Amino acid sequence: MYVPEPISKLIEGFMRLPGIGPKTAQRLSFFVLGMDEEDVLDLAKALVRAKRDLRTCSVCANITDQDPCYICSNPARDRSVICVVQDPRDLMAMERTREYNGLYHVLHGAISPMEGIGPDELKIPDLLRRLEDETVKELILATNPNIEGEATAMYLSKLVKPFGIKVTRIAHGLPVGGDIEFIDEVTLTKALEGRREL
Amino acid sequence: MRVQSLDLYQYRNIATLELKCPEELHLFVGPNAQGKTNILESLYVLALGKSHRSRSPRELIQFGKQRAHLKARVAKDGQIHRLEVQLFEKGKKVSRNGIEQSRLSQYIGFLPAVLFAPEDLALVKGSPQVRRRFLDMEIGQVSRTYVHHLSQLSKLIIQRNHLLKELGKNRQTYSPLLDVMDEQFVSLAVPIWEKRFRFLRMLTKWAQEIHQTITQKQEELMIEYVPSIQIDDGMRTEQLREIFANELLKIRDKEIRRGSTLLGPQRDDFRLKANQLDLHTFGSQGQQRTAALSLKLAEIELIHQEMGVYPILLLDDVLSELDDSRKTHLLTAIRGRVQTFVTTTNLEGIDSATLEQARIYRVRQGIITELG
Repeated sequence: MYVPEPISKLIEGFMRLPGIGPKTAQRLSFFVLGMDEEDVLDLAKALVRAKRDLRTCSVCANITDQDPCYICSNPARDRSVICVVQDPRDLMAMERTREYNGLYHVLHGAISPMEGIGPDELKIPDLLRRLEDETVKELILATNPNIEGEATAMYLSKLVKPFGIKVTRIAHGLPVGGDIEFIDEVTLTKALEGRREL
Repeated sequence: MRVQSLDLYQYRNIATLELKCPEELHLFVGPNAQGKTNILESLYVLALGKSHRSRSPRELIQFGKQRAHLKARVAKDGQIHRLEVQLFEKGKKVSRNGIEQSRLSQYIGFLPAVLFAPEDLALVKGSPQVRRRFLDMEIGQVSRTYVHHLSQLSKLIIQRNHLLKELGKNRQTYSPLLDVMDEQFVSLAVPIWEKRFRFLRMLTKWAQEIHQTITQKQEELMIEYVPSIQIDDGMRTEQLREIFANELLKIRDKEIRRGSTLLGPQRDDFRLKANQLDLHTFGSQGQQRTAALSLKLAEIELIHQEMGVYPILLLDDVLSELDDSRKTHLLTAIRGRVQTFVTTTNLEGIDSATLEQARIYRVRQGIITELG
């Protein structure tokens, strides 16, 4: 069957995206054909700009369009605390809380020898450099609560110890608003282990 | 607890089955490869959400069909509950009382089941792997934290082995990352050991009693945990942690050379002894089978103790493997307490008192008909 090249190119392009198979790619492509030219141009420009104009912040390694990023260059932020996260998306999640006013450091992954990711593949040296500055008093480790995230957190805490900085790990346990009777045993056990005195 | 009815639709070689089974003992009789085991397997799937002999749900669906449907009505705590499992080519849905359960871990445990299949007779003489699997499956039925710790442990070991290989390649012996992983290893291994110790302690108590009865006080059964490091049941958590951490340090160079994890719960075993004699090496076939039988019967008591109800018992083709006195003992031990589903190729050697109580079905080419 003959498919005009612009369409087949577009379909191929969509198929490179995660979670998109041939059927969805085809549906999206034909949808694009039906869109207003202006909207299509906006989308195309947005794609190119996202790729061209975004880079990682030279301080915290978050993705940004200005360097240093808007968080690192914000004078209202508390410079004595750094929250370490695995991924820019985790940073966005922390930001959504609107409760945290410190700085961040994005590692871009977690330690996983299986995938060939060791400490040197992550933004750990950059973090250590930031700690030499004496304004930093606390490091909050907010990596994922799985084997790789825990290993990364434990590794960092050992590494940072000589700096004499307070190192904390975010808690895990019950979701807020949940009923204890419906919580699975594993989470509940964790919550019990992490109980605190009132 | 009783299974009141079992309905199957397009399951393995069974097109449809509607079975009323409130009685205690059910015998499925027929030649091999007719679908007897499929009936027991379907009960196992309803209990645990997965089959004991197949990983993919597709294999459980009747050949050429798109889906299978399994339903059971279970009388428990004075109420009737409905369990349902739907199997599709990719995946499955489980529900209890019409409410779909998104997590399998929330579904399992409602209908505890103990399966005794010919493979289990190899529990004593088989490889350590068979015995570890027994431990993990049985503790898993009563403790979900144990299942979680096990799955975390296997992930950690994969990562740790990769790291060991890498260190070996680079001829490194010092690694702060390995220190971290060892710390994680200790934190996962110790609770697993503690659960295993506790489980074996209870299992031994029941198994000893049962074994004495079967052997008419001729044999005393002992279960001994054989860990990969020098630890035992009497140790406190802190002691276990310390010993394991030290052993890991001692063996580190060797592990790096080999590029693999050499110690831990994933390498342990347990041994069965009768009158101080190791049954694995010195036991006769009959002794080994009796010990396996004692373990399985002990498991029934243990589930009763831990969960407050007796499990259902699924006996797959094991009667013919046991001699008449063991057969009689097995059937008397469960009488009046445990609802039992049995498959067998013939009814020979089953005592008449048992046969009188039982419902007997003939199974031929996926069709089940009640006899008598």
